[in-house]
Amino acid sequence: MPDITKMKAQLDVFLIEIGELSYFTARFFKETFKRPFELKELLNQCYNMGNKSLLLVGITGFIIGLVLTLQTRPTLMEFGAVSWMPSMVSISIVREIGPILTALVCAGRIGSGLGAEIGSMRVTEQIDAMEVSGTNPFKYLVVTRVLAVTLMLPLLVIIGDAIALFGSFLVENVKGNVSFVLYFNQVFDALKFGDIMPATIKSFFFGLAIGLVGCFKGYYCKKGTAGVGKAANSAVVFTSLLLFIIDFIAVFVTDIFYDL
Amino acid sequence: MKHSNSQKLRLGSFVLIGTILFIAGVFLIGQRQNMFKKTFTISAFFQNVNGLQKGNNVRYSGIGIGTVKDITMINDSTIKVDMAIEEKIISHIKKNGIATIGSDGLVGNMIINIVPGKGLSEVIGNGDIIESYSKIGADDILSTLSVSSENAAILTSDLLKITTAMLEGKGTVGLLLNDTIMAQDLKQSINNLKMASRGATNTINELNEIISSLKTNDDTVLGMILNDSISGQKLKTVVNNLETSSSEIENVLNNINNVVDDFNSSEGAYNYIVKDTSLVNSLKSTLKNINEGTDKFNQNMEALKHNFLTRGYFRKLERDEKKEAKNQND
Repeated sequence: MPDITKMKAQLDVFLIEIGELSYFTARFFKETFKRPFELKELLNQCYNMGNKSLLLVGITGFIIGLVLTLQTRPTLMEFGAVSWMPSMVSISIVREIGPILTALVCAGRIGSGLGAEIGSMRVTEQIDAMEVSGTNPFKYLVVTRVLAVTLMLPLLVIIGDAIALFGSFLVENVKGNVSFVLYFNQVFDALKFGDIMPATIKSFFFGLAIGLVGCFKGYYCKKGTAGVGKAANSAVVFTSLLLFIIDFIAVFVTDIFYDL
Repeated sequence: MKHSNSQKLRLGSFVLIGTILFIAGVFLIGQRQNMFKKTFTISAFFQNVNGLQKGNNVRYSGIGIGTVKDITMINDSTIKVDMAIEEKIISHIKKNGIATIGSDGLVGNMIINIVPGKGLSEVIGNGDIIESYSKIGADDILSTLSVSSENAAILTSDLLKITTAMLEGKGTVGLLLNDTIMAQDLKQSINNLKMASRGATNTINELNEIISSLKTNDDTVLGMILNDSISGQKLKTVVNNLETSSSEIENVLNNINNVVDDFNSSEGAYNYIVKDTSLVNSLKSTLKNINEGTDKFNQNMEALKHNFLTRGYFRKLERDEKKEAKNQND
């Protein structure tokens, strides 16, 4: 019996958190379209989240492209289907691996950063101070950051995809003597709008989830340094879980509209 | 805010690169889907589209010219496939083109191949319908393969029986494989054949020599015919003479025929003798009379032998005959 009570309490906490997150999300959308717009801060956050994540995303994408091609090549060679490598790699990267991997990398880097940054501001009562001074901390801190990560993540995904495909091309060029033109001709022969559009649209949702969860965890951070750490940690864990749930829903919806 | 300009520049570059990559990707994919090109639509009816989907490629003689625009079920056995074809290719496709559904490689996507038809035809236009040809599907190939494999199984079992029989020495081939005496006989036969062929070679050589000697030696008849032009001329003359003689003989024979015909047709003695039956009858009765006369004459002669007046003469004749016979015996 005590176990059930404990589980119920945990479930209540989880549901309360979901409810708070829903209110937080609703407030975000409400505040987004309200004047004044914090454009400078938005651009600043875009730079922080976009440009500063580019190297990490680029390296990850490049290595994934290389590894995917290297690992798949022997199996395709057994079937005599190496010429299908560009098609296979491009579809898997553009449809799934690129968006989810970039989102996970960004969840680690940006999500934890948001949780820690806003959490520490909450702990050090900077947010309270902003409220006192008449500045809307939600608009200045949350809306700008969530918007920035929502806008930057699709761009990071696109650049990450391009770098991953380039990495794959390098392996094909070295091992299979495939030219640049032939490789990318086959890539774009294989790709359809049903691959690139859903992937781009779901990247926006990935960015939104990273930003919202990171900011939420930081904004409602408990007092103390431990609370900041916990906020950063739970932001990454919760975001990662949410990313996979969004990905599943996105694939499900894409399947309905594009008949994959 | 010191670094704001540099920060803006980097952010701008990042956004620009990302946007350009996205637009380029969309454009390249759209170009392959013929979204930014002027297209016209042609259609073909199929009984089975073998998993063809919207957006699959359309090729004309191996060149990508468009995509499948729409697939519609007309009735239970007819499917209409609309194809969006690049407008610039319109002048090359004729109305007698034939559309077939194939696969891009062994495991590739389905594609529509349009092949030019035979003979001259008009250029195809927007909304035209071309002929289609349904290829054998993978299922049909597999069912054929199944029949083939069954046949192969029967064949191998038969082969097994044959090889077993051969190993046991049954049948001619088995005998050939296992019977050592027959092998020796065969060896002997082959040796004989070798000898015979050698003999035949020698004979042929000799024949060749004979023929060559005949050709070169003027003393023989054939050599003379072949080589001596004078003898040849003489032979020619002889042949000419023979021809003349034969024509003369023919004339003579004609004359004889005429004579015989005259015999047959004229009313001469011959014809009277051969053809008149009353003459034969009178001759017959005459001969009868002669026979009867002769008999009566013999009787008269016999009577004369016994008559006292002539009996002495006949006895004298008998004595002379006996004397002559005795002289001959001595």
